[in-house]
Amino acid sequence: MSIPLSYYLTLSAILFAVGLCGALTRKNAIIVLMAIEIMFNAAILNLIVFWHYRFGASVTPQMFAIFAIAIAAAESTVGLALVIAVYRHYRSVDVDEMRSLKG
Amino acid sequence: METLYQLLISIKTDTPIGRWLGPVPDWWLRAVAIVVPVVLILAVFLTLFAFLTWVERKTLGRIQNRLGPNRVGPIGLFQPIADGLKILLKEDIVPRGADALCHFLAPVLFLTVPLMLFSVLPIGRGLIAVDLNIGILFVFAVGAASVLALFMGGWASRNKFSLLGAMRSMAQIVSYEVPTVLAAVVVLMAVSAAGKHGVGSLSTVSIVEAQAGGWVNVSGWFIFQPWGLVGFILFFIGTLAESARTPFDLPEAESEIVAGYHTEYSGFKFALFQMGEYLVMIAMSGFTVTMFLGGYLGPGVDLPRMGWLLSIFWFFAKLAVMIFIVILARGTWPRVRVDQLMGFAWKMLLPMALVNIVAFGLWFYLGSGPMGWAVSVALLIAAFALLTLGGTSTRLGKRTYRYSS
Amino acid sequence: MNTAFWIISIITVLGAVLAITLRNLVHCLLSLVVCFFGIAAHYFLLRAEFLGVAQILIYIGAVAVLILFAIMLTRHVTGMEGPRELGGKWWMGASTAGIIGVLLWWCVRREVLTAMWPSSEKAQGLVAVIGKALVSEWVVPFEALAVLLTAALVGAVVIALEEVVRKR
Repeated sequence: MSIPLSYYLTLSAILFAVGLCGALTRKNAIIVLMAIEIMFNAAILNLIVFWHYRFGASVTPQMFAIFAIAIAAAESTVGLALVIAVYRHYRSVDVDEMRSLKG
Repeated sequence: METLYQLLISIKTDTPIGRWLGPVPDWWLRAVAIVVPVVLILAVFLTLFAFLTWVERKTLGRIQNRLGPNRVGPIGLFQPIADGLKILLKEDIVPRGADALCHFLAPVLFLTVPLMLFSVLPIGRGLIAVDLNIGILFVFAVGAASVLALFMGGWASRNKFSLLGAMRSMAQIVSYEVPTVLAAVVVLMAVSAAGKHGVGSLSTVSIVEAQAGGWVNVSGWFIFQPWGLVGFILFFIGTLAESARTPFDLPEAESEIVAGYHTEYSGFKFALFQMGEYLVMIAMSGFTVTMFLGGYLGPGVDLPRMGWLLSIFWFFAKLAVMIFIVILARGTWPRVRVDQLMGFAWKMLLPMALVNIVAFGLWFYLGSGPMGWAVSVALLIAAFALLTLGGTSTRLGKRTYRYSS
Repeated sequence: MNTAFWIISIITVLGAVLAITLRNLVHCLLSLVVCFFGIAAHYFLLRAEFLGVAQILIYIGAVAVLILFAIMLTRHVTGMEGPRELGGKWWMGASTAGIIGVLLWWCVRREVLTAMWPSSEKAQGLVAVIGKALVSEWVVPFEALAVLLTAALVGAVVIALEEVVRKR
């Protein structure tokens, strides 16, 4: 027999909580971006889980997941470029030090 | 694997041997059907790697007007064994500040990740380890994932030159993946054009079968079409770059001062790096054969009994020809600088690959007869001319002699 | 099937936890890659093969390499380690995440959902179907995604470009 749906949902809930903990706890901006990627992955895993268990005949959830993965990649690209640009200005990637909007 | 499993099940139920052996549980048969292809792949391709080192050294020797290894065994045939023993007995030096876990894992991952490429390579008719629905995409995914093993090797050595070499190798592999994938896209378009209702598949077996038919199973090969020839050249250049062979072997060339990402590795770990690189070369040559040279097809493959034996022979013959061309390239071509390398990939190969896709579209929709041939060939030649002559070429000025009168 | 699920899940969660707790940045990245591999394996288990391969290609082949280059470009001179906690207040973030995790788990552990939707064998991630849908029904989002990726590429290059001109 296969896995009950709630096991997969629990797995993605755990991953989301782990990512959230990382985003709230770590000081390094790059680790925060990595934790956000973990959260993205948890959400997209949820999409595919529901596709497998309920909507297997339709292709829409897979489309949703493909687009979400691509958009997550684009977002991480721009986020990391921003981190590099901020590093050039502040000489550190500590999120505590990036507290003023003034250049 | 599936065919082997079905074969074992039919042996168990139909033949007298099966009835005599008694009830064998099904999962035993499935385990055997999984283990046998894995062992066969490891045995065949790792032995091929060892034999290939001998072939390469002899060929390079002959190109350079010298004999290759000829002391160990008749015409040097036991040289790989001697090399293997030597490298097993060498001292394994790990730099003091090195990251021990990553330093250990990097060559292991660099070897095992490309081994997965062989699972989707069709060696003969009905002989493929796993006939994945997404065969070719799996190849490119594995290529993308092996980049990180390379980085681990360079970074874990705690050596600035290793890190720089690893970054350069990563940039090279990632840049050359793009025209390689686009060259494969043309093949996939052709496969879906040949398929039923225009529906194709990414499976490597269907790519080979789409080249069947034609005169003695040869004229259907994709290399004999204009877009196929250009695609073959692009994919071949991508093969050379992905496995870091000359002319793209800047990380590990003999005339460089340090050896790139495997500077700090000695002994068996270095051998694992070399093995991984050769395996990538063999696997990518195998995929070139699969996609452009008809895979295991050849005259006589459709015979009922002996067809699959002949298909194995044809596949390995074509693989041998491709690998020989790669070795010849190493012996005769100079290597490019790293900036020339990147410029070549992004400014020359990528536009050519895109034009190739358009050329295939034109060829297909103009009926694939003389009209289609003429238009696509004209487009490809025009694009090539524009890119080489009108592109970023350095005009050599008139030569001036500074120290002579 | 069951054992595969448990093994892959443990690998995934372990990779994610290590990714946010290790000190060394590159070790964090490598365990994040392990987490991504675990999620790709889950996609294969759920018979969404194209998504599994896309996960490997995009996340491990591109996003992880990107994070790597960002780490390399933003290193301090001395090394890559640094104090990892937010002063003494890390427990606030951890407990917030813990509370949200428990809430989510409590919502999804209902047996109602499982009883309503047992595993379906209709789920076949055929690539041909996805390809056809991408160019027929979903072509506008597809092209919009291409524009978005181009914009992200150009934007990232512009943002991270060295400001050489202003240092006159």
